[in-house]
Amino acid sequence: MDVASFVLPFLPEVVLLAATLLIFLLDVLHVRRTEIVGALAVAGAAVALLLVVADLRFAPLASLATLPAGRIDAVGSPTALFAFTSLGLVFQGVFLIATLLVSLASVSRPSDERGAPIFFGLLLLATLGMLLVTVAADLIFLLLAVELTSISTYLLVAYTRRDPRSLEAAMKFYIIGALSTTLSFFGASLLYGAYGTTNLYAIRLAAGPVGFPVLVLLGYGFLIAGLAFKATLVPFHAWAVDVYDGAPTDVTAFLAGGSKKVGLFAFFLVFLAPILFVRTVGGGSPFTGAAVGLGPVFQLTLGVLAVLTMTVGNVLALLQKEMKRMLAYSSISQAGYMLIGITVGTAPAIAGATLQIFAHVFMKGAAFLVVGGVAALGIGPLVDDYRGLGTRRPLLSVAFALMLLSLAGVPLTIGFVSKFVLFSAAVQAQGFFVWLAVAGLLNSALSVFYYARVLKVMFFDPAPAAPADRGAVVGASGPSILPAGGLGYGRAVAIGLSAALIVLVGLYPQPVLGAIQLAAQHFVATGA
Amino acid sequence: MLPLISIVLATLLAGTVATFLSGTKARWTALATSLAFLAEVAVLFVRYPGWPGYTGAGIPGFAEGESYAWIHLSWLQINYTVGVDGISLVLILLTAILQVATVIYSWGEERRPSAYFGLVLLTCLGCFGVFVALDILLFFLFWEAVLVPMFFLIGFWGGPRRRYAALKFFVYTHVASIVMLVGLLALVFYSGATSFDFSAVDAAARGLTGVVQAFLFLALFFGFGVKFPIVPFHTWLPDAHVEAPTGASVLLAGLLLKLGGYGLIRWAVEVLPSGLHTDQPILFAVAFLSIVWGSVLSLSQRDLKRMVAYSSINHMGIVLLAIALGSSLGLLAAVLLMFAHGIVSGLLFMSAGSVHHTFGTRDIPNLGGITPRTPALSTMIMVGSLASLGLPALISFPAEFTALLATYNGLGYWVFVPLAILVVTAAFYLWMMQRMLFGPEKGVPSDARDLPWYEGVGMGILVAATVVFGILPALLVDVIVSSPVKGFPGT
Repeated sequence: MDVASFVLPFLPEVVLLAATLLIFLLDVLHVRRTEIVGALAVAGAAVALLLVVADLRFAPLASLATLPAGRIDAVGSPTALFAFTSLGLVFQGVFLIATLLVSLASVSRPSDERGAPIFFGLLLLATLGMLLVTVAADLIFLLLAVELTSISTYLLVAYTRRDPRSLEAAMKFYIIGALSTTLSFFGASLLYGAYGTTNLYAIRLAAGPVGFPVLVLLGYGFLIAGLAFKATLVPFHAWAVDVYDGAPTDVTAFLAGGSKKVGLFAFFLVFLAPILFVRTVGGGSPFTGAAVGLGPVFQLTLGVLAVLTMTVGNVLALLQKEMKRMLAYSSISQAGYMLIGITVGTAPAIAGATLQIFAHVFMKGAAFLVVGGVAALGIGPLVDDYRGLGTRRPLLSVAFALMLLSLAGVPLTIGFVSKFVLFSAAVQAQGFFVWLAVAGLLNSALSVFYYARVLKVMFFDPAPAAPADRGAVVGASGPSILPAGGLGYGRAVAIGLSAALIVLVGLYPQPVLGAIQLAAQHFVATGA
Repeated sequence: MLPLISIVLATLLAGTVATFLSGTKARWTALATSLAFLAEVAVLFVRYPGWPGYTGAGIPGFAEGESYAWIHLSWLQINYTVGVDGISLVLILLTAILQVATVIYSWGEERRPSAYFGLVLLTCLGCFGVFVALDILLFFLFWEAVLVPMFFLIGFWGGPRRRYAALKFFVYTHVASIVMLVGLLALVFYSGATSFDFSAVDAAARGLTGVVQAFLFLALFFGFGVKFPIVPFHTWLPDAHVEAPTGASVLLAGLLLKLGGYGLIRWAVEVLPSGLHTDQPILFAVAFLSIVWGSVLSLSQRDLKRMVAYSSINHMGIVLLAIALGSSLGLLAAVLLMFAHGIVSGLLFMSAGSVHHTFGTRDIPNLGGITPRTPALSTMIMVGSLASLGLPALISFPAEFTALLATYNGLGYWVFVPLAILVVTAAFYLWMMQRMLFGPEKGVPSDARDLPWYEGVGMGILVAATVVFGILPALLVDVIVSSPVKGFPGT
């Protein structure tokens, strides 16, 4: 195999790596202006995104494709470290869109802000890890890629190096993250003990009796715990709210809109096999010897986790007074909806969850970008501080309202379509899964309350007596007044783009959904 | 062929947007939209072929059919499919009449008129959409689209306890619509229908076993029933009605309650006939409970508006009874009753609203002998009450007569339950009129003036509808019976 044919499929990753290294190099050369490194990050993410979309064979871009058609969705190999699946490519696209939006918005931060190269460099590095997760075909490779993302995000949370809240959040994030990594690797080692391989495809082929059923159960159990930390599933969620709250808001947007989904995609990769293919373990039940299907055991476990995550996230979000914490809890509950996809495990369900993850970038990621922009306007962190924003900032408020309505699953938004596809897939699967759909729908109804509260505060409550003057606030922090109404062009574009996509895809989801559907069908048919 | 239904939808949508944007001119935009809507509905009526088995644009049993692909995946075939049959056409006519009357009646609304009239139009748009949608997702979208404007109408223009009432309305109906959605999705997937279209679901549902049909029917019945509202899920209704501004009350009673009835007929009774058959005892029990309990509650009220609100439960109970009979005569009665109740309750709610404006109270015992001072208002109250108690030549009479006949055909002497309730209610209305309208003057402020012109015109439209369709019910009946309702053996 010559070098070119090995490297070419990884061109998006290579582009990202090159951009990352260039940014760090510029840092050493004291070129640290936000616009310059930010533009580099935006360009890197955009090019990588183009290449990924081209690899998905979208007609206008197909000539750019770097992956030979035969390597996408190729039958898995029991020795390979990585495999290119179209679902993986879709996720690469989702991750890159998140990175693109966040870096676009961050370009308009003050140009002499400290640590800009570190921020953008780590952002791209974390994205690189995320892209590698999507091509993983081996458990150890997968966990290492997750680790690359994790370590970058620990540092991202603390990149300002001054704010004690961020430092505390980073510390918490790091300790919990290290614990979850340990659990994951321990689980992987138990699976190796049971199957004699860590290749996901080989594990899938090892359907049927396994010598050490207890090892299999324990291994997957530890993996559930380890990955659930990354994906913020209840009861492994406690760190998430403090970290989301303490991190700089643009980093939070990336954590919620992007890097958390790595955990969910890892769930897809790891648990597709036991749910769909490994029918039984041992000559008998896990502990005694009678034949027992593993699928139902995992589906029940994941189903309980999904319901718990949705419900706890929503109930706690109802109680929050701070905007960021409320959105953080809502983010947890959204992870519960996404988990329904892998729990049901059919192609429609996986497609629904994928669309939900795609939508979440525009809903939650962009919502955090709005919160970051609003904070820069000198408006406080509490929900009540948003009083009268609708009259003072009508466009921004309408965009924010669209994101919240979409999160609530209100019709004619992308959030409705994704939930509709997801829940209808659960109903289609019948049996126990219908209850998952019912739980999800009831939770959606519950979540309407805290989103509607924000709308009420923004549009109907009168503005505070002395509205904060943005000129004074921005002026106090140093740089010249930012264009685009104090938000900065980059942030305004990122927010506007997200709001537009929420409505457009909500009205006519066919193009996006069609691509995701094909990917999901391949994924379920061919496995990891 | 013109895509007439899409044109109507576009008209309503454009009119709604224009109304929201037109500031103080909103009432004119709203009126223009409503009149255009009424004219278009008239065209729909005239074009409706009116004979059984008419097939429009490839959608069996429906006229003016349109169907375009919307979301097509391997397991989901969702289309923008719309069409009308006689049942929906009658309810669409009701929508148009009530919209015009409400817009004119609310002419004097001073608080944020553009938002108020825009929300009124949006509610009617949603109702129209529900009546024409022949795809489950489209139906659900419009169904939900009705909720939001009504929530705001109650929550911002309502009475003192408006926030509580709006929230309760939203929670009850939203939870119900979730159950309905699950029921509809289950209907598609359990029956293995090839698409979300009504005709596909209808055809596929025939293959379901009786038990599954019964369960699905119950889920749908709960979802639609809360909108009816059926006892014991009725408690949102009096709160919402009493707190809502008059215009919203009219739409709530006149249209929103009909959504439940229409949904039950279209998506449950027609599609799951054997489910209806199995669940019939439950439906009868609920219907009788609603009839009796609704009228007991209604008769024990002092507040005129509250009394009218509770009487809706009673009337919709009769609608449910007529639907549950599962005969074509019962179905005809149900649709006629819904039309009649929409017009008459609108008239009564407008009367209650005008009483409140004029006298500052709606307390029946505190008012008396108001006729000499406010003859026009008294006339309206009298026409509304007489129509409500089923006086011949007014719209309720043919509807109630058909309902009682159908009940006798189906259930024999059980007909005496609704009959007795009707007699008692009639007596109560007469007593109310005697106390309020006649006798010595009581509780009339010295500066009380008769109806402003717009309230008079708004109510006049409904009075005209009451009389015209009361004398010529055939205008409606001919259209309704031309709907080939499937699923009833021997009809």
